[in-house]
Amino acid sequence: MVLAQLLETLYKGDQKQIVELVRQAFDAGMAPETVLKEGLIAGMDEVGRKFQAGEIYIPHMLLAARAMHAALDILKPLLVERGNAPAGRVVLGTVKGDHHDIGKNLVATMLEGKGFEVIDVGIDAPPEKFVAAVDETVRIVAMSALLSTTAPFIGETIVAFEQAALRENIKIMVGGGAVTREFAERIGADAYGADAAAAAGLAMQLAGSEDVNQR
Amino acid sequence: MNGKQRILTALAVREADRVPLYIHGINEGPIIGIGNRITDGLPEVMDFREMDDSAKMKVLDTLFLIHETFEVDGFSAFEIGHETPVDDLHIQDDFGVVYALSEFGLPVAKGHPVKDASDLAQYTPPEPSRGHLLLLDLARDRFKNEKALFWLMRGAFVRCWRLMGMENMMLKMFDDPEFVHKVARMTLRYNLAQLELLVEAGLDVLVVEDDIADKNFPLIAPEQFLEFVNPYNRKIVDAAHARGLKVVRHSDGNLWPLMDILLESGYDGLNPLEPQAGMALEKVKDYCGKRLCLLGNIDCIDLLPDGTPQQVDAAVAQAIEDAGKGGGLIICSSNSLHPGVDPDNCIAMFEATRKYGRYTSD
Repeated sequence: MVLAQLLETLYKGDQKQIVELVRQAFDAGMAPETVLKEGLIAGMDEVGRKFQAGEIYIPHMLLAARAMHAALDILKPLLVERGNAPAGRVVLGTVKGDHHDIGKNLVATMLEGKGFEVIDVGIDAPPEKFVAAVDETVRIVAMSALLSTTAPFIGETIVAFEQAALRENIKIMVGGGAVTREFAERIGADAYGADAAAAAGLAMQLAGSEDVNQR
Repeated sequence: MNGKQRILTALAVREADRVPLYIHGINEGPIIGIGNRITDGLPEVMDFREMDDSAKMKVLDTLFLIHETFEVDGFSAFEIGHETPVDDLHIQDDFGVVYALSEFGLPVAKGHPVKDASDLAQYTPPEPSRGHLLLLDLARDRFKNEKALFWLMRGAFVRCWRLMGMENMMLKMFDDPEFVHKVARMTLRYNLAQLELLVEAGLDVLVVEDDIADKNFPLIAPEQFLEFVNPYNRKIVDAAHARGLKVVRHSDGNLWPLMDILLESGYDGLNPLEPQAGMALEKVKDYCGKRLCLLGNIDCIDLLPDGTPQQVDAAVAQAIEDAGKGGGLIICSSNSLHPGVDPDNCIAMFEATRKYGRYTSD
């Protein structure tokens, strides 16, 4: 019952109520892992599905994201305390020259909603900034570009990973207004996500298999 | 017919002597690239703000010359002189919005002066300045009523999100809707006051430039568009019509979920109709019929940068075939002629419009 309410509250974006519901779930003896997986992750999956279907729009995604972060603020310390590792660590950013951040932030939210830890290198991030953010714990790098004039820097960043001998260690997903599936294939990315929800789903697949090459 | 007559006839969704041609926006790169085919003495490509006065005059003259040489029927003017440098990387407009400069595209609004009701209480909006209409004055004097004069006016959504920040505006629609309305009303007052100056300056066509969609969907829900954006833009449309102007709605992206609202809002034209966002010309024409003139759709993402002049020629012929019959079509690229377009392809678009666009034998 509490989980169903959590899901509904996430969709409505009510921060205060979601915090109250998380506390109620704990009071009822529910494990933090259950609250995360069956409450928040399931809720954000539903939000993502509605977004992809055009049933809700970016403002509703932002509202849900805000509520999710309020719940995660309570859950994260407990999950860490209980020895839970994140689903993976993802380096995320908008490439050099591109100052647009809403799409990137939505991807970050959806990734966090799937249990990933996001290392956000921000907007207008040059290739060396992406490369510097990758250590042995990072398996996925996600890049976006809104402008057709900046999209080539996705390719340049992939080249920078090759030159740094890190390309074999990571999977690269790309997206954004200027990026198409064909472009992603041409520049040698491992995966293309048409929107934030798709990106989160791809990250789950990429994290789940060393051999996944979703295009 | 001259260019102005041709444009106004098309915006009335009637057949002119031929399908008109229009450039909605054009960057320094293509001005200089196309200009080098028809004149000499142009500077290297750089940001207009960084050019010396002599280079600025030459580039501006070349922009006019392109319109004359290739018989572009309308000229887009926009506000200049409203921005001041903050530092080497940022500029600020007279609303107090700070923009990050980028060598890869338009400045991006990053500093937002009116984030909440307390900011608004302290905020004094600017008054429109007659001096900022200089480009319109220069075009009017140069073209002497031979071409239609367009003005790009930012609409409610863009003005509001630049003042508030886009994410903040989207959340304020839930948290503090009256604040959003107050800011929208403030921007409307500015736009209506500027409209009076534009009418006195001899404007023909007002473009309500208010990007509201990405390639997948509108950025906000249709019901939010109906509450927070469209009523304010509609007041601009009504005021412009009352002063005898035509009004074109510009928005990037997939506008299908908003199409009925736009059709009911009284616009005369719709631009730029991005093919990659599902705005196929034939489909839009079928849906809108005689209710709206269509301006745009010649692909500036793939075709104009990477296609051949032959492919551009064929695309223009196809556009005229798809949407030219009965009038209500103005050939234009699917967004601005940006730094990535091939000048030869732009020229091919201009020439193909004359080649295929004739309605009558006169």
